[in-house]
Amino acid sequence: MRFQVRHETAYRYEAPVVLSQQLLHLSPRPLPWQERNSHAIEVDPRPAESVERLDYFGNPVTQIALAVPHQSLAVRARTEVTVAPRPRPPAASPWEGLSERLRAGGGAALLEPEQFVFESPRVEIFRDVAAYGAKSFTRGRGVLEAALDLTRRIHAEFKFDPRATSVSTPLREVLQKRRGVCQDFAHLMIGCLRALGLAARYVSGYILTTPPPGRPRLIGADASHAWVSLWCGDAGWVDLDPTNDCLVDDEHITLAWGRDFSDVTPMRGVILGGGEQELEVRVTVTPL
Amino acid sequence: MPPDLLGTYAATNARYDEMLAAPQTPRAHWQRMFAQLASTAPEAMRDRVQWVQRQVRDNGVTYNVYADPEGADRPWELDMLPLILPAGEWAGIEAAVRQRATLLNRILVDVYNEQRLLAEALLPPALVYGHAGYLRPCRGIKVPGDVMLHLYAADLARSPDGRWWVLDDRTQAPSGAGYALENRLIISRLFADLFGELQVQRVAGFFATLRDSLAHWAPADGAAPLSVLLTPGPHNETYFEHAYLARYLGLPLVEGNDLTVRDGKVWLKTLSGLQRVHAILRRLDEDYCDPLELRSDSALGIAGLVDAARRGNVLVANALGSNLLESGALLGYLPKLCQRLLGEPLAMPSVATWWCGEPAALSQVLANLGRVVIKGAFPQMRVEPMFGEDLDERGRKRVAAMLTARPQMYVAQELVHLSQAPVCDRSQPQQLLARAIGLRVYACASPEGYVVMPGGLTRAATGPDARVISMQRGGSSKDTWVLSTGPVSSFSLLKREFHAQDLVRTGLNLSSRVVENLYWFGRHAERCDDTARLLRVALVRVIEETPAGRARSWQGISGLLRHVGLLDEDAAGADDAALARLLRDAVVDDSRPGLASGLKQLLRVASQLRERLSLDNWRTLNNVARRLQRSRGRALGISDALAELDSDIAAFITLAGFALDGMTRDQGWRFLSMGRRIERLQFLCGMLQQALAGPADGDLDWVLELADSSVTYRSRYMARPQWLPVLDLLVRDVHNPRSIAFQLKGLHDFLSRIEDAYGEGIDERLDASVMALEAIDPEADLQHGSARLAALLDEWYAASYRLSEQLGLRFFAHVGEVNRQTFAT
Repeated sequence: MRFQVRHETAYRYEAPVVLSQQLLHLSPRPLPWQERNSHAIEVDPRPAESVERLDYFGNPVTQIALAVPHQSLAVRARTEVTVAPRPRPPAASPWEGLSERLRAGGGAALLEPEQFVFESPRVEIFRDVAAYGAKSFTRGRGVLEAALDLTRRIHAEFKFDPRATSVSTPLREVLQKRRGVCQDFAHLMIGCLRALGLAARYVSGYILTTPPPGRPRLIGADASHAWVSLWCGDAGWVDLDPTNDCLVDDEHITLAWGRDFSDVTPMRGVILGGGEQELEVRVTVTPL
Repeated sequence: MPPDLLGTYAATNARYDEMLAAPQTPRAHWQRMFAQLASTAPEAMRDRVQWVQRQVRDNGVTYNVYADPEGADRPWELDMLPLILPAGEWAGIEAAVRQRATLLNRILVDVYNEQRLLAEALLPPALVYGHAGYLRPCRGIKVPGDVMLHLYAADLARSPDGRWWVLDDRTQAPSGAGYALENRLIISRLFADLFGELQVQRVAGFFATLRDSLAHWAPADGAAPLSVLLTPGPHNETYFEHAYLARYLGLPLVEGNDLTVRDGKVWLKTLSGLQRVHAILRRLDEDYCDPLELRSDSALGIAGLVDAARRGNVLVANALGSNLLESGALLGYLPKLCQRLLGEPLAMPSVATWWCGEPAALSQVLANLGRVVIKGAFPQMRVEPMFGEDLDERGRKRVAAMLTARPQMYVAQELVHLSQAPVCDRSQPQQLLARAIGLRVYACASPEGYVVMPGGLTRAATGPDARVISMQRGGSSKDTWVLSTGPVSSFSLLKREFHAQDLVRTGLNLSSRVVENLYWFGRHAERCDDTARLLRVALVRVIEETPAGRARSWQGISGLLRHVGLLDEDAAGADDAALARLLRDAVVDDSRPGLASGLKQLLRVASQLRERLSLDNWRTLNNVARRLQRSRGRALGISDALAELDSDIAAFITLAGFALDGMTRDQGWRFLSMGRRIERLQFLCGMLQQALAGPADGDLDWVLELADSSVTYRSRYMARPQWLPVLDLLVRDVHNPRSIAFQLKGLHDFLSRIEDAYGEGIDERLDASVMALEAIDPEADLQHGSARLAALLDEWYAASYRLSEQLGLRFFAHVGEVNRQTFAT
């Protein structure tokens, strides 16, 4: 499918910001199943510096710096992408085998998934999270079947509630409240999978918001989205969306992946000055 | 010989003894020291111990916060006896530490670049990807000379068979080298003769190598490279050392918000604008170094530093990411890695360590839990060591469950029986005590490979059987003497030749923070002096005169006491005894306005200027602080309080003398002097306003006394003080350093010099004040009841206030502004 995505971030500051440095993860990652037809990021006021590079995980990242005092900052990313359907993976092998392979280590071949086995700044592994995931990962169960079951359970047992959490709510609190947003559900699922010794990464992106006829409206409209990618051994990485209880296909647009939100925050920055601030983020995904 | 020198020295076979080869028989390299101790009288021993203590105290060597207003000062603990090591033995240690530094650097460079060791399965992924100290944004940063580990320290211990083992590696920002240097300065003076006779190797060259190597590898842009020492600030436990090293190495001491990144380069915010920084020797933990790319929950550090390093625009030492190697889990892999990377066996073994992440190791640990120490595998975990032998059945079960649940997070280490060395305890200096010791050895990278400091920081346990040696837990330290076989040379690998263009005159690199602190140092020093003088003037009159006898002066004095906040309105009705008590409290009680609280402010500012103030300044300040602290402890009589004030005033005169005679006339000095003069100007205006508010036939002796001008007045007039000559001396006389004219003219001059250097920007240039001063008509205006004089005093006071505000806005304004992190989804 072909999409146009507009992602607009607007800050207003009470007092002048004298120096602002920002890291933008707002450019879709080129992938075998995802082609970037056009892409541009517009920043107002004009930054003194703007540099593009790849981050540690191979995601495109843009660094900008503004050194003249300003009281508003607008960043507008416009992208056109084509996403191809992804075949349903044949990942039927029992999950314990994968976990054992990762634990034993195997040099070069396993280094990519090994990156995503351990705790990370936003994904703490603790007893309750392990116990929650273990219910789906019964002995000998196929890895994908178990993971889809976990996806289904999170979707069924957790309520989507943008007011319940913020970008800094810890996983413990999400698990306790049984509420949150896509980011929280992705972190929860990653925690469950890593507690079992599996490799799981956090994917940041967008989802198509127009409901096709006869199908329910998908949650996550007008905001950036997040889901989970699970390493399934020889079957490679399989993406699952616990917020919408589905396998990721051609209606998800991938921006970047990392260990968790902190690696791929769409816009992370440090400012000097500014006082109180207001933030407005608008995301629009239009099928072409 | 005092027969009991070894009377309480516990001989043991369970430990290696550094001093004794057999009971009563010192080892060859200890014989001369031993003989000297044996021939020293007990009283002389006591004197020596006290001398060392006094040196530490006078130099203000502390381990935690210096002069923290709330916390306790903890002086650095230094034992007078050095650890002595013979040349031959040292050669082995030196080679092993050099090899280990080389090896660790190679591992670090591999992990942050190609990761061949991981690909070849020589390192388990958990030790890198599972380590919170693996800084992903730093992978691929190219470092000059392939050096990431510039300064390295190894903690060594000696087992009963005499072999040395490595207990720990310090790879991020090793502490203690500065303390080792300070220890050396004190102990080498204590045993000056012996130090020379034994040909102890010098450590100064090591520090020169460190500094010159940084300059060597710093990115070049044509200018002389500027290196800085980055500290977390005065609240850090080893801040003394940061300031000490900065002063010794000649590097500006900076905090995170003194630096900024623009165009991918690092700049120091100075009075004259941004100065390019080429190298950063850091004592700030790396995850706090860059809020943009590293820790996302802290805004400390320098936003953009990682990127500046990535672009090759700044050298960071140690490189960001080097904390990765501070993991006990790595120790077991080093022998293989050494063979693979250096093609030779590891010269000095690490203490036996099992990483529980390996199933075989875990089961062995569980079977031997009673004989090992359990520690966290990664430094971020901050787990206290758990001694298996201390655990009961339930405790062992709990620890076993903990290890089984998350084995990769723990290591188990064999318990080491540390060697013992003599210490001289202050409670019984004539008898030596045996204490367990550990040795921290330092290496620094140089273009010719790693150089090992011939010496190090020896630490001794507190009690006879401590298993953990830690300064945090109150251990003590020793100087470390490495003997040499030939004459001691003072060579340097990197002698730098200076040329005319390298010569420096002005303090270009004066950071805005330092300037602000110098200004406030000047103000607080002057305020303390004024306060002490005023309290003395008041106390003397309360003690020596009856209320009726001091009637003609007291209105002015008590008015001034209230004006500067030393007495409140309630004190008006107090009788003399109560008044004396209130004034005495203002001297010693730091919980109310007065001298003690003023001194606290002065020390707080001074502690931020550690690297800028000479040792003599320190001693003077320290002495006043200590005396006041002691006085607070006991019920101080009024006459004691007066004696105290006399000594304090003398100390403040000494401080003022240092500023006048001991400091270079750079812009920093000008700010300090402006602080002093603004404070004095305000005090003089207040004093004269209060005196003029008194009776026309008021006694003016106190005014002259307070302005330290009695002698001048008497020599000029030989008469009882009268308004016209007194006011002339204190207002108009530019030659009197305590006149208003002297302050105004001086400030006016400083302002024009500062304007020359930094351009305009201060509106209050005191032009009007100086003109008004010159327009004074002595006969009409210098009289009691002159409305013009009263108006002028008000105006001068207000002008000095405006000037202070404007200096702050123009030169210090950014200090105190902090970075804030923002996130948008």
